[in-house]
Amino acid sequence: MNWLNDNVNLLGLLGAAAIIVITVFVVGKYIKQMKTDKSTGELADENWDGIGEYKNPLPVGWALSFLGTMVWALWYFLAGYPLNGYSQIGEYNEEVAAYNTKFESKWANPDAETLQGMGEGVFLVQCAPCHGITGDGINGKATDLTSWGTEEAIVHTILNGSKGMNFPLGEMPAGLLDENSAKAVAAYMTEKVSKTGTKNSDLVATGEALWATCAGCHGEDGKGMGGSAPDIASYGKPEFVASVLNHGKKGVIGTMPSFNDGRLTDIQKLAVGKYVNSLTQ
Amino acid sequence: MFHWLEKNPFFFAVGVFLVIAYAGLITILPDFMNSARPVVGTKPYTVLQLAGRHAYIKDSCNACHSQLIRPFKSETDRYGMYSLSGEYAYDRPFLWGSKRTGPDLMRVGNYRTTDWLENHMLDPASVVPGSIMPKYGHMFNNKANIETAYAEAVTVKKVFNVPYDEKDMPKLGSFEEAQKLALEEAKEIVDNMKNPTVKEAYAKGEIKEIVALIAYLNSLK
Repeated sequence: MNWLNDNVNLLGLLGAAAIIVITVFVVGKYIKQMKTDKSTGELADENWDGIGEYKNPLPVGWALSFLGTMVWALWYFLAGYPLNGYSQIGEYNEEVAAYNTKFESKWANPDAETLQGMGEGVFLVQCAPCHGITGDGINGKATDLTSWGTEEAIVHTILNGSKGMNFPLGEMPAGLLDENSAKAVAAYMTEKVSKTGTKNSDLVATGEALWATCAGCHGEDGKGMGGSAPDIASYGKPEFVASVLNHGKKGVIGTMPSFNDGRLTDIQKLAVGKYVNSLTQ
Repeated sequence: MFHWLEKNPFFFAVGVFLVIAYAGLITILPDFMNSARPVVGTKPYTVLQLAGRHAYIKDSCNACHSQLIRPFKSETDRYGMYSLSGEYAYDRPFLWGSKRTGPDLMRVGNYRTTDWLENHMLDPASVVPGSIMPKYGHMFNNKANIETAYAEAVTVKKVFNVPYDEKDMPKLGSFEEAQKLALEEAKEIVDNMKNPTVKEAYAKGEIKEIVALIAYLNSLK
């Protein structure tokens, strides 16, 4: 009987009981009256096939509320609505502004777990239609995000090239390095440039010697020389995903639209990056 | 007065009409001229897009998909900016719809691309697990009806002064010119598609329905 502890439930039940009691009382009274009542009073002029109508005065409460409604309607017609300036768009704008303020103050410094959860939510709505619910790219229909951000993925990019993010330096051609050199560069890049850590630490020195091939466009520090090429120092991190979301991409597999139209906030973009990152691990 | 109105149903009806019409007057009229004009940047559909729109209507896409984003945060989060009445200025008929079995498509061109639409129209469940949308494989075989689309464009241009052939607006020209333009426009879409039937047909100068439909959906922004 836990639900009786709830005030609303209790009030509801009391109300229902009151309605039943009042109904029985009132109906009983009228049924009794109908049995004994005789009709009296002055008949109105109208008569419909022998059915007449008494000239009874209006009940005072009813008449007052009827008049009140008419006065209110006149006020609402002439002043209440037209001069009040209500608009649905205005209400929408207020609602969104209030929500955004709340969102920003609530998630100003989100912890990792919050970002992960937020990212998963956004991913399932906005990204899953193309990349699949698990992020596997649905049999090659989109980029397989479960292997994104790894050393293998860097090797794959070097061997196959990359294009379509509209950076001034244009597209990256395929086959800049052979497979072994690419592996070494990937080791160097993950160890020293993006600092996500490498599995082949013995190759770092070889990769460093070959880094000039990449530095030509991405810069010595990999930061993309002030927006001329993608910032690969953030490769494998949420910031890189946020950058792809901002730019969109017209790659080898197909086109990814840009998410720069205000549907996602910066925090949400980072959160998606965080979530995508976690798919690899 | 009430007795008199009860005896004169005609004048009673006039009174009811006036009271109700007043509400429309006060809510619709002040902004009517303004909101009925095309929004800046809204352009009439090209012939290829119109052919796609005909396929959209013919296959009753509008029975399950609306094209109207209401001004609620839950809607704009998912579909983008709410719709404005001026955005439908060149829609004849508009395809607002009132039932969403599938999602709203008002701005689908912003977040779906040619290759995704190709996969999805061929087999919706392959990209959206559990989708109940039927497959539209026949669109890959049917020929797009460029003739009818051209006829409609010319008609609305002449009858409603839709600004075809004006500066920064889609070109129409003669039917041969329009056909050539449609082929050029279709090229980019066909290039981004993988289906061999569609590509072969295009090489022979034929545009499949799916190409026109994708052109139309991509134009919804």
